[in-house]
Amino acid sequence: MSLKLRPFWFYLIPLPLALAALFFGPSEQMGPDRVLSSMRLLFGGAASADETTLARSILWEVRLPRILLAFLVGASLTISGTALQALFRNPLVAPEILGLSSGAAFGAALALSLGFLPLQATAFAFGLLAVGLSYLLARGRKGVSILALILSGIIISGIFTAALTVVQFLTDPFKLQTIVHWTMGNLHNANWDKIRSAVIPMALGGIGLFLIRWRMNVIALGDEETRAVGLNPEREKVWILLPAALAASAAVAVAGIIGMVGLAFPHMVRMLVGPDNRKTVPVSLAFGGSFLLVVDTCSRTLASFEIPIGIFTTLIGGPFFIYLLKKSRFTMGEE
Amino acid sequence: MTTAVQVEGLFFGYDQRPLLKGVNLEVPSGSLTVLLGKNGSGKSTLLRLMGGLLPFEKGRVSLLGKDVRRISPSERAGLVGFLPQFHHPVFPFTVEEVVLTGRAAQVFFLPGKKDREKVRQALEALGLMDFRDRPYNELSGGERQLVMVARVLAQDPRIILLDEPLSHLDLANQVRLLRLLKDLTARGLTVLVVLHDPNTAVLYGDQVLFLKEGRILSPEKGRGPWEASFLSEVYDTPLITLPFKDRCLVLPG
Repeated sequence: MSLKLRPFWFYLIPLPLALAALFFGPSEQMGPDRVLSSMRLLFGGAASADETTLARSILWEVRLPRILLAFLVGASLTISGTALQALFRNPLVAPEILGLSSGAAFGAALALSLGFLPLQATAFAFGLLAVGLSYLLARGRKGVSILALILSGIIISGIFTAALTVVQFLTDPFKLQTIVHWTMGNLHNANWDKIRSAVIPMALGGIGLFLIRWRMNVIALGDEETRAVGLNPEREKVWILLPAALAASAAVAVAGIIGMVGLAFPHMVRMLVGPDNRKTVPVSLAFGGSFLLVVDTCSRTLASFEIPIGIFTTLIGGPFFIYLLKKSRFTMGEE
Repeated sequence: MTTAVQVEGLFFGYDQRPLLKGVNLEVPSGSLTVLLGKNGSGKSTLLRLMGGLLPFEKGRVSLLGKDVRRISPSERAGLVGFLPQFHHPVFPFTVEEVVLTGRAAQVFFLPGKKDREKVRQALEALGLMDFRDRPYNELSGGERQLVMVARVLAQDPRIILLDEPLSHLDLANQVRLLRLLKDLTARGLTVLVVLHDPNTAVLYGDQVLFLKEGRILSPEKGRGPWEASFLSEVYDTPLITLPFKDRCLVLPG
């Protein structure tokens, strides 16, 4: 089932949405009227020094980085999930299901705890290691079955989650709080430093996947079908896996494990524009980023306290995964 | 007439279990050659080896004079197209999107106008234009088979290898596909096809090869390939033949 909407419309969503999101926040001193006047200020309007400082700190240092980070994380996880589902020909995989997220989380925690490892590179290395292990573990004589890959992903994910707990146990209490907060999957510590640290790996991953998006169609049909038309499937898979792991581990390194985004959002994208990856990859960027921004805006404004976004998305995404699992039993046979 | 496919002393096995034990064969350019043999005789494996899809240790396979192990995958795709036996579609790609993937060796980032034109020609040749926007995984087995044939045609190779292309096809589509393959050979392409039914081979094949116990089996001197005793030996089952044109039709004995 897909609606086959034109991708163009999705590219119009992010900018207005981001501007609208600037109006939402818990601070009572920064109601919609103040936001509007502060925006005018950006375009050269006059204001008191007081107002300028307030606008700077709330809009520029709190809300805008958070909006950008939510968008970047959503876009990265969705595009990575889209690529991994094509790569493994498996609509039930996602960064967190293949262990990629846990691996990256362990790497990031290790970097935060030790202090001398580069955060992004360590997260990427362990994310890649985890997804590689899941794949090797699932690979049998007749290729990789959909369920075997999910099971091996659970095992690898469990191992890295356990290793993450060991890191937390050994970390001094002062740093521990940072790590615990961050593993819950959170955007509320968003700041410009985080965006600066994540934007380059995310952009590299996104550009890489954008360039090879049509080849994902070829790979999605099968190894032999790929070889028959003159491509080396193993090499193509590496070119898909590297940018996909880069984008997802960068998202995990700055925002922790935000569950189910990489699984559920690519499905929504395929329902909206069809399975052709020439469309799904750019739409994943626009739609995935926008959707997580909406979820995040809800999570920070709906309740009087802030619900960590990772918990929010998992609560929504869990039932969705169960629905897909039930449905796939009929459409995928014993594959 | 030149040789399109030449196989010399080819050995192959899975996990130390030998399957092909010194295969020698030649497929003339522009011919429709049929490969027959019992289930498990190694027909599909031989086809994969000829298409360069499986690595092998011992022997030699040449495609239009080029060693299949010494050409790049993209050069190989220009020489030889392969139709696999089974497909497990997971995503609901449209027929057109599936056929377009046949162009992969010629496409760097995105397929262009020329690629879409090749796809259109392939779809037209198989009468699939009305199916182009249908989801591939909602088609019947036979329709899917035709789509995969269109994919091979879109690839535009000089030699086409097909592994049981008639399975799942009704009689009308079988005839349509066989006629199309004949037309292709008339245009200079070489077609090598694995079939189950010896009668189809009788009716359409320019050359018929028999694979048994890892070797190409030829009738002894003085015996033709369409003699009942020879065919009974190929299939290990009693068969009788009825004269038909310059060959014979085969029936269970």
